[in-house]
Amino acid sequence: MVPLSAYVAVSAVLFIIGLLGVMIRRNFIIVLMSVEIMLNAANINLVAFSYYLESMAGQLVALFIIAIAAGEAAIGLAIIIVVFRGKISTNVDEMNLLKW
Amino acid sequence: MTFALTISPSDLLLLLPEILLTFWLCLILIIDFSFPRLRNEQLAYFSIAGLVATLGCLVWFDVADITGALFGNMFVLDGMALFFKIFIVGSTILVVLASIDFIHRFKFFRGEFYFLVVMSALGMMFMASANDLLSVFVALEFSTLGLYVLVSYLRDDMASNEAGVKFFILGIFAAALLAYGISLVYGETGKLVFSDMTSAQATPGLAIGFLLIFAALGFKIGAVPFHSWIPDTYHGSPTPVTAFLSIAPKGAAFAILLRMFFVSLATFKPVWILLLVATSVLSMTYGNIVAIAQKNMKRLLAYSGIAQIGNVLIGLATGTKMGSDAMLFYLLTYLFANLGAFAVVIAVSEAIGSDEIDDYSGLGRRSPFLAFSMLIFLLSLAGVPPLAGFIGKLYIFVAAVKEGLYLLITVGLINVVISMYYYLIVVKKMYVTEPHDRSPLKVSGSMKAVVYVCLAGTLAIGIYPQPVTDWVVSAVMMFSHLADPTASLPVPPAVVPFGG
Repeated sequence: MVPLSAYVAVSAVLFIIGLLGVMIRRNFIIVLMSVEIMLNAANINLVAFSYYLESMAGQLVALFIIAIAAGEAAIGLAIIIVVFRGKISTNVDEMNLLKW
Repeated sequence: MTFALTISPSDLLLLLPEILLTFWLCLILIIDFSFPRLRNEQLAYFSIAGLVATLGCLVWFDVADITGALFGNMFVLDGMALFFKIFIVGSTILVVLASIDFIHRFKFFRGEFYFLVVMSALGMMFMASANDLLSVFVALEFSTLGLYVLVSYLRDDMASNEAGVKFFILGIFAAALLAYGISLVYGETGKLVFSDMTSAQATPGLAIGFLLIFAALGFKIGAVPFHSWIPDTYHGSPTPVTAFLSIAPKGAAFAILLRMFFVSLATFKPVWILLLVATSVLSMTYGNIVAIAQKNMKRLLAYSGIAQIGNVLIGLATGTKMGSDAMLFYLLTYLFANLGAFAVVIAVSEAIGSDEIDDYSGLGRRSPFLAFSMLIFLLSLAGVPPLAGFIGKLYIFVAAVKEGLYLLITVGLINVVISMYYYLIVVKKMYVTEPHDRSPLKVSGSMKAVVYVCLAGTLAIGIYPQPVTDWVVSAVMMFSHLADPTASLPVPPAVVPFGG
């Protein structure tokens, strides 16, 4: 049987990969993918804990997170399409109109 | 394990404001596409009618003291939830009223604008009632998804698109932190409802989990290490959306923070007080110092907003009943002053097409009404007596003195002086500098109504705060066990530090 710590370790690694992706990568689409990785790290944690704690609540939360992640991706892609029409680029660094 | 979901009519009554607003949302959409010739302001007044009905319902609940909990404590309706719902719906009404003039700048989908504003407000109403980590996550995303679209609503304006992208990236990043934090807290305690976690053991997992949740909510309120989206998003978004963003989501996020720190983590107060003191000091100082250098009115208000949130965090850091009273009171004064200031910005930008502070020169001659209102709002934000902001700051500082948080009070007072400086720069521009163009400005009736309501609120709370203090004291009665030890008992009569 796989111990709980293995699941938590995998999810922590995924979370850190996502975190670094958001911070380092400059392409909007890749940033969006990194955030999805972070959300899925949370899902792995929730489902593993839910199994070991023998409570259903964690799996419920995971389902909601999946649904909301889909909604977020839809809105994010819609925004980037509008930007792409004006700039022909999805690079976050090129959006530098607003500065103090 | 089985779920038994039974809802009785009396339970549905607790959800009445939300149900009413949901029906109204559907009606707004249906009317928008059924009557394409309908003018924008008619749809706006229709949305306002629904919001006013909801507000009436909430006030009725508050007066009749209708409270309760639903869905296994996931949704609670108590005095605090009612306060924040009235706060949110009230600010939404003013924002919709202020957007009537602005709406002609949108080329497409004008009707959907009202739908999205009201939908976000509905999400925030659920945030005010969320008493469980799952409902916190769902309600927070529910309200933010609408805001992402609203921020980038000026489709042909690159600044608005850019604001949308920045807000979106940091918003979903915060959502991911929140989700991971929830998973850790759930793993450590096995619970999701805030009030069930009071007996939790201090473990590293729990600490990291709550830190991540705090970071996510910090993004929402724009406190200092998490503020980076605020200036650009406020600057680029359509101004009514900026006004909405600067008030309603902050109130809703503070409702969650209050439940989290004062209920779940009440026993860990010595630990989190340091975190909150640091965030508060950083927010006040950073916001006020950077605001001095601003050339754009919306950016100035964005940085001043960061500093104001630092002031509210002082109340949270005290961890007492009086601190929470002061927070609610302060948020209410901030609502009127900040929304009023943004209303003047909208009115001026409608008339002269600019938000730059330089273009405010001579406003005192071009439009005495707008200039005077702006003066009152800025002085209230700075905390000058006899305006509402003064009483709010006083209340917060008195709560902090009782807890002995002298560092916070010192930093807070220094910051009052700094903020006075940059607010007065704007006032000087309006009244002393010669205008480039002397033509008087035209102000529409709906803008005047918003400015008058905010002026009335700012002056009335400043001159006669007693009814409002009574209201906030009774709204957070649930925290009365957190009374500070030095106060004379019983607490309620002793909490008002000034005669009405």
